[in-house]
Amino acid sequence: MEKYSILGNDIPRNDARAKATGAAMYTDDMKLPGMLHGALLRSPHPHARIASIDTSRAAKLKGVKAVITGRDLPKVTFSNWRLYPATMDEYALANDRVRFIGDEVAAVAAVDRETAIEALDFIRVDYEPLPAVYDVDAAISQGAPVLHELIPNNISVNRKIEYGDIEKGFAESDYVREDVFTVHAVSHVYLEPCSSLAACDQDGRITLWTSTQTPYIVQCLLASALGMRENDVRVIKPFIGGGFGGKMELRPWEVCAAFLAKKTGFPVKFTLTREDELAFGRRRHPMKLRSKVGFKKDGTLVAKDLHILLDGGGYNSMGPTATYLAGNFGAFLYRYPSYRFLGEHVYTNKPPAGAMRGFGAPQTLFAAETQMNMVAEELGIDPIELRLKNAMVPGDELPGVATISSCGLIESIQEVAKMSDWKRKREEYKKGGGKGIGIGCYSFISGGVFNWFNTQYPFSTAEVRAFEDGTVHLLTMASDIGQGSDTALKMILAEDLGLQMEDIRITSGDTAITPQSDLGSWGSRVTLFAGRAILEASRQIKEKLYGAVSARYNLNVIYDFECKNGRVQAVGKPKYGLSFGEAVSMVQKAGRGEPLVARGSYTPRSKGMVSPAFSFGAQVAEVETDMETGKVQVKKMYTAHDCGTVINHMCVEGQLEGSIQMGLGYTLSEQFIMDGGKTLNTSLLDYKMPHAADMPESDHVCIPTYEPEGPHGAKEAGEGLVIPTAPAIGEAVYHATGYRCKDLPITPEKILKSLGKL
Amino acid sequence: MSIGKFEHFKPRTLGDAVELLNKYGPGARVIAGGTDLMVKMRLRAVSPEVLVSLKNIPDLDTITVDPKQGLTIGATALLADVAAHPGIRKYFPAVAAAANDTANIQVRNMGTVVGNLCNASPSADNAPTLLVMGATVHIIGAKGKRELPLADFFKGPGLTALAPGEIVTAVSVPPPPPNTGVVYLSFSGRGKLDCSTVGVGALITLDAGTCKTVRVAIGACAPTPMRAPGAEKLLTGNAVDETLLRSASRKAAEETKPIDDLRASAAYRLKVVEVITYRVLTEACGIARQ
Amino acid sequence: MKHTIHVTVNGTDYSVSVDPGRTLNELIREDLNLTGTKLGCGTGDCGACTVMVDGRTVSSCLTLAVDVDGKQITTIEGLAVSGEELHPIQEAFIDKGAIQCGFCTPGMEMSALHLLSHNPNPTDSEIRNALSGNLCRCTGYTKIVDAVHCAAEKMASGKTEGGL
Repeated sequence: MEKYSILGNDIPRNDARAKATGAAMYTDDMKLPGMLHGALLRSPHPHARIASIDTSRAAKLKGVKAVITGRDLPKVTFSNWRLYPATMDEYALANDRVRFIGDEVAAVAAVDRETAIEALDFIRVDYEPLPAVYDVDAAISQGAPVLHELIPNNISVNRKIEYGDIEKGFAESDYVREDVFTVHAVSHVYLEPCSSLAACDQDGRITLWTSTQTPYIVQCLLASALGMRENDVRVIKPFIGGGFGGKMELRPWEVCAAFLAKKTGFPVKFTLTREDELAFGRRRHPMKLRSKVGFKKDGTLVAKDLHILLDGGGYNSMGPTATYLAGNFGAFLYRYPSYRFLGEHVYTNKPPAGAMRGFGAPQTLFAAETQMNMVAEELGIDPIELRLKNAMVPGDELPGVATISSCGLIESIQEVAKMSDWKRKREEYKKGGGKGIGIGCYSFISGGVFNWFNTQYPFSTAEVRAFEDGTVHLLTMASDIGQGSDTALKMILAEDLGLQMEDIRITSGDTAITPQSDLGSWGSRVTLFAGRAILEASRQIKEKLYGAVSARYNLNVIYDFECKNGRVQAVGKPKYGLSFGEAVSMVQKAGRGEPLVARGSYTPRSKGMVSPAFSFGAQVAEVETDMETGKVQVKKMYTAHDCGTVINHMCVEGQLEGSIQMGLGYTLSEQFIMDGGKTLNTSLLDYKMPHAADMPESDHVCIPTYEPEGPHGAKEAGEGLVIPTAPAIGEAVYHATGYRCKDLPITPEKILKSLGKL
Repeated sequence: MSIGKFEHFKPRTLGDAVELLNKYGPGARVIAGGTDLMVKMRLRAVSPEVLVSLKNIPDLDTITVDPKQGLTIGATALLADVAAHPGIRKYFPAVAAAANDTANIQVRNMGTVVGNLCNASPSADNAPTLLVMGATVHIIGAKGKRELPLADFFKGPGLTALAPGEIVTAVSVPPPPPNTGVVYLSFSGRGKLDCSTVGVGALITLDAGTCKTVRVAIGACAPTPMRAPGAEKLLTGNAVDETLLRSASRKAAEETKPIDDLRASAAYRLKVVEVITYRVLTEACGIARQ
Repeated sequence: MKHTIHVTVNGTDYSVSVDPGRTLNELIREDLNLTGTKLGCGTGDCGACTVMVDGRTVSSCLTLAVDVDGKQITTIEGLAVSGEELHPIQEAFIDKGAIQCGFCTPGMEMSALHLLSHNPNPTDSEIRNALSGNLCRCTGYTKIVDAVHCAAEKMASGKTEGGL
């Protein structure tokens, strides 16, 4: 292990002071002179043709500056999968058809919010309702209502993976089982509702401040949606109040804000309400998963056949990626000699599902890990032993998909068994006695390899500018959305240049200033991708600095150099050295004033189809169930995870603790209650995410590994941790009550029903 | 998000408040803490033209506790103040506990016990305890003052026995007799801080192990918070043991009329009422025996 | 009809003319430009808009501006004694890693202040209950609870030294 001076420390985050004092400006905190307020008219129908729209009365209302509909906007569809234009199926405002309750139909800009909302009541839309469909099986059956004419079977995307001889695998298996699992939709509940503020300058260029995880994607798609050139659109990411995958697309209100700003000549701001977010917002994909697995008697995995129907809602959104990734995650964690996957993304008349923390894995691995626990019981093998027998190890290959580099899965499972006193409790808690303990494992990506956005730039780029006062300026389009990436990236650079955190200024997430490009914050890509780009820029800076020191002291060419403690010096001969600022000054003088600037980039190449690196981990849950009411209380969570070199322990812990909250909600309390296409629980009173008093105790350890592809050995930390919670609690509940959940969430009612008490 | 357009009055006396309500008629609403009304207005479930705030009326937030005379909670007394009041905690601990079980701290710092009752939600956390303790609602209107048993106050979800232009000025409860236990338990899917799936309050007075008087009240299982007379009848005059408490709890569940809603199915509510009623009765008997 | 109200916010007196439908949250954020207080739901369920009115935490989204006439209001901007120093609660939130996206932070800190002003030495479960009107999606609350413990210690030691 390398010795670090910055990495691995509990360094408070870069922006903590601004957030602690309330000084941090989020989009809705901003105000510009003359600013107008926007409001959206949404469809009350799950599926309808729009016969006509009359906006004239709304437009005449005092204080209303503009009313627009789909007819006013360029006829351009958008979606993130630019590589496959056929998947780009969404208009900012509906043209002739609405496909879910909440589909955006018209937008108003007015002098204040009240007037804008009032104006919506004066827009007359004649809808001709169409038959609607709400579940995947009905949507793919013969004669189902068709949502998009180009997709007559409602299956907008499919993905297949197959390797090994699966038929032979099942034939040679001693034990085969097939199960169907269903998992539900949940909300991101980022605390900051979406907000966007657009201004148009005298040259017709747009600046958009928006609550986004992906400024570059928004820049490109907004330009195309408005028929503008990319460079005429500037997207600035202010402070973001969480994203979790829910803010990584171009959204209708971004298009409307920009278009209305252009049309009216005044800045326009749209801010969603919590009801908007819960009733109409993106959500995690509900899925129906049919999984068939074959094992040898001794527990050796032989074959797996997985079919998933993803309930995509009215549009593709990030569904293609979820379909793609679900197939990959289905083959992870264990060594599957043969594997077959078919994923089908299905349109239904519900709010579209999008990306959400874990992105296909919480669903797929809930099914896989629950089934693993069922197999363990059937074969009479401890669930931990069964996992250890089949666990992935470094060097494992998924043909055509990925090669595993660093992998601490076995160590994680062993560690979590030890921490939780697994063996003793597993025996001591009698099945059905109300107390239980269960395990789930996870694996996750460190960024994506597949270029679905079809970016024309490197996947991540960083610029480092060094100054003779001993400071540097780091510019990156990577987006801190609350996860702390600005802090982690500064730490990586500070370590590499031998500087302190306060020596580094960072500018991030501004498409007109930070270098092209970065695809944004999703898929746990920032630490590895932006980190590598920064190290590449830093390497170039150091080359120049080393050259300057070498020249200054007229040193033999065989000398090696280092940046350490604010100095640039010969290794082992610190007297041949200069302060960082002096060295920069030397370089600058030698270049007759040219500033010392370097740019680095990272694009994963020859890294398969999924990700350049994978993290792994295991989690044990202990529960107590009230056998009379069926209420489950999670008493303690134990987690061991392998996230490579830990950049910042405090931040990694924070990610873990937060993921337990989200995983707990996913498993036990959070769900959308739907009546057909209508979401009924649209407040945070009835959408039940866990409070502080609902949280279990938690113990955790990081398994030390070194990821060769990552910056200083680091890889994903935090997103994947949301995955194991549901299967771990599910197994613990089974141990405690005998109720086996194959249909999330686990509710007291389901438990009592299974016990015959209801 | 806008909460609408209305006129707002802050009368300094109850007389002025009543006059305003009568002047503006059905478009006028009384507001105290506003924690329920504001949400309804924001969601456009109600759109009053006039709000008459009670918060500037002096002494309307008075709480008086007397172990002999009983407890009176003024209309604008905050949930937080009821929950923390040393006298209430000492002599009427179940009333304090129910107030403390209501929503979250911010809401308790704004909302009132009387407002919780007047909102007439079937799941109102403060109703079951006050019902079993035989609470009286004190009302003022254009025709003067009147009193009404709380049991006669609830008429349906969001509906009360208040006539147009009337205001509840206080709720009062008599002191419980000796050898009495009063307990309230709420149950919800999320653990802490949730709108209750079921809430049960019970008062039981024991005489050498025999149930002398008992009242059971259940929230969130009918259009109004309700008493369970059948269960009470089963218990009254009989020696209390586990079997009796179990069958009384079963009876209480049978008397409810729960519906399926966002928070639980009717069938589940029936089951939970039985379980929670048993727990409440058991705990109340334990206190009564002390 | 507009009402003229007089409020003291973070020690500064204001006279503001407001519509009856103006919420305290709108008054603070839009009229007084104190945007540290957030709006997360508008229905009193998330706590992001928590401020102090006469020493008690309330949801500013459910409070009418006309109802705070004559009252003392403290927002996150008034938590620290000056722009240069931080309140021990703020220091603790920073040092303990209790802040991620930061959107719940101002409300959480106000709830922590309310708790610690009533209960200077709270237990773990008292802290969790006291913060249960504030939702956080990032931290799982663990580090926030740690921060409140830490702030309690800082405030206690500050007191014995005669400060704060």
